[in-house]
Amino acid sequence: MLIIDSMSKSLGEFSLTNVSLSVGDEEYFIILGPTGAGKTILLETIAGIYSPDAGRILLNGRDITDVPARDRNIGMVYQDYMLFPHLTVEANIGFGLKSRRADPAFIRGKVQESADLLNIGHLLHRYPGTLSGGEQQRAAIARALVMEPDALLLDEPLSALDVKTRESLRAELARIHEATGTTIIHITHNFEEVFDLADRVAIMHGGDVVQVGTPEEIFRRPNSDFVAGFVGVENLFCGMGSPDGTVAVGDLRIRVEDGMPGPVSLAIRPEDILISKTALPENGKNVFSGRIGTVRQNGGLVRISVEAGIPFRVTLTRQGFEEADIASGDAVYLAFRPSAAHVYSSGSPDGA
Amino acid sequence: MSQRNSSRFRTATVVVALLIAAFIVLVLLGVVTHSPASVLIECLLSEEIQFAVRLSIITSVVSTLLCILVAVPVAYALARYTFPGKSLMNMVMDIPMALPPLVAGVGLLLFFGVSPVGKSLDAVGLTFVFTPLGIIVAQFFVNLPYMLRVTRSTFQGVNPRYEYVAKTLGCTDAQAFWRVTLPMSWNGLLAGSVITWSKGIGEFGAALMLAGATRMKTETLPLSLFLNMSTGKLEFAISAATILIMISIVSLYVFERYGGATHVY
Repeated sequence: MLIIDSMSKSLGEFSLTNVSLSVGDEEYFIILGPTGAGKTILLETIAGIYSPDAGRILLNGRDITDVPARDRNIGMVYQDYMLFPHLTVEANIGFGLKSRRADPAFIRGKVQESADLLNIGHLLHRYPGTLSGGEQQRAAIARALVMEPDALLLDEPLSALDVKTRESLRAELARIHEATGTTIIHITHNFEEVFDLADRVAIMHGGDVVQVGTPEEIFRRPNSDFVAGFVGVENLFCGMGSPDGTVAVGDLRIRVEDGMPGPVSLAIRPEDILISKTALPENGKNVFSGRIGTVRQNGGLVRISVEAGIPFRVTLTRQGFEEADIASGDAVYLAFRPSAAHVYSSGSPDGA
Repeated sequence: MSQRNSSRFRTATVVVALLIAAFIVLVLLGVVTHSPASVLIECLLSEEIQFAVRLSIITSVVSTLLCILVAVPVAYALARYTFPGKSLMNMVMDIPMALPPLVAGVGLLLFFGVSPVGKSLDAVGLTFVFTPLGIIVAQFFVNLPYMLRVTRSTFQGVNPRYEYVAKTLGCTDAQAFWRVTLPMSWNGLLAGSVITWSKGIGEFGAALMLAGATRMKTETLPLSLFLNMSTGKLEFAISAATILIMISIVSLYVFERYGGATHVY
């Protein structure tokens, strides 16, 4: 269990303000946020590279705030691998055990084990400069894992890799987490990594953690305009909530599940909206009529804008788009469940 | 080169470059080829030139080692840490490089000759004035900034995250430096040492002031060149010059070869 308690750190242009987080044992925890949000300093402060200006860090009940990095038993893996170029893969992976003055035969066995786990057992004699990016990152992960760390910190570990390597290494990370049960904190701005790997996600913005939750919670129920915008909720409206469980946005009254009175923000994910040329039965849903504006094809998805008194954005799969048989200018009906319309009080970008 | 003007401009600049390169080569060839080979070899084998070679090598090697010993920790502090007075310190340590060596020599002479520090060093047997020890100190003082600059830029070129990773793998600050940063800086340190050594072996002004020009006592290669030139023994002067030219060319080659690779990591 890793607990970060009201931690602050100022480091030139980057800073952390009063960050609190707790990461459970064996949890795969992802930190998501734009560049400059303070994600890397957070990891480096947890690792013990910087000491915080204020606050505490507790690892498995022990206060490690003032413990030097070398005694924390926390592993670190960077986007750019940071393999020591003057050492072979074997010496890189064995580096930490050598620091602990372990027996050479023991080191060899552990290194082999760790390399096999990462499928780089055949590369031990090579130098990092001769390896592909994916192989280098495997070696860097093996180097951290061989120490059996209490927590493993990954700073955008897949960002420097090509798409194919990234996908295979992503699967590897899931497998390794499963196999070793290591607590992992992983920084990224790639949503696929979140859905594939994360037990829970924290969103960072401006040096603070603004929301923590399961991927589902973060993506469906953002607690602020920032999070909603960041996770790609394209239908974001300001409205006035009523006690009867509806929100007035423009001329529309939208039924919501967890309504609240007063000025609110309303978030609806574009893939949660149905679109049809024929009138849709209400069945408790929100149904509005409108007219299609633009239709843009984007990979396997089709993004459609619909003017229905207020502008909606709808995302369909290519197949869904063909079945709906619609085109720009068509009159259509939109439908979505009240549970798809997430409400949070407006005017609090850092969350309710 | 699609336009006539730019083509003419190109030709003009390249011609100037060629002329200068030819000028440099001619000047150096003029020295090396001035004496017949037999005379040159005879001089090179003479006791005086042998002495000068030996003294030059010993003093320059020792002063270079001292430069490395001092430059490594100082350059590391300047490259990695922030502390009050750092930029001022950076400037101060570059001063000897901009200073005419003769001025440095006068300063050293006063410091070691008449200052209380110099006198007490002299009292315990460390005499720098008019001794080979003075040559070492003069070379050290004048050349330290070169070693320092190359070393500092080498350390700056090593991403500090290598050290961060080393620390998470159980290293103290010092161990991270020894096991990671220093080996990764090898090329830069080699290049810096070679250029420092080469400048040390050619050091004249400051050494002349502090150590004097005593034949067969403080006679390094440049001092030998100076002494023999002023006493009209041209062949001896030229053989000293020839050795210095060779050393410069080889050093430059090594520096370019390894110095250029400093930022590979």
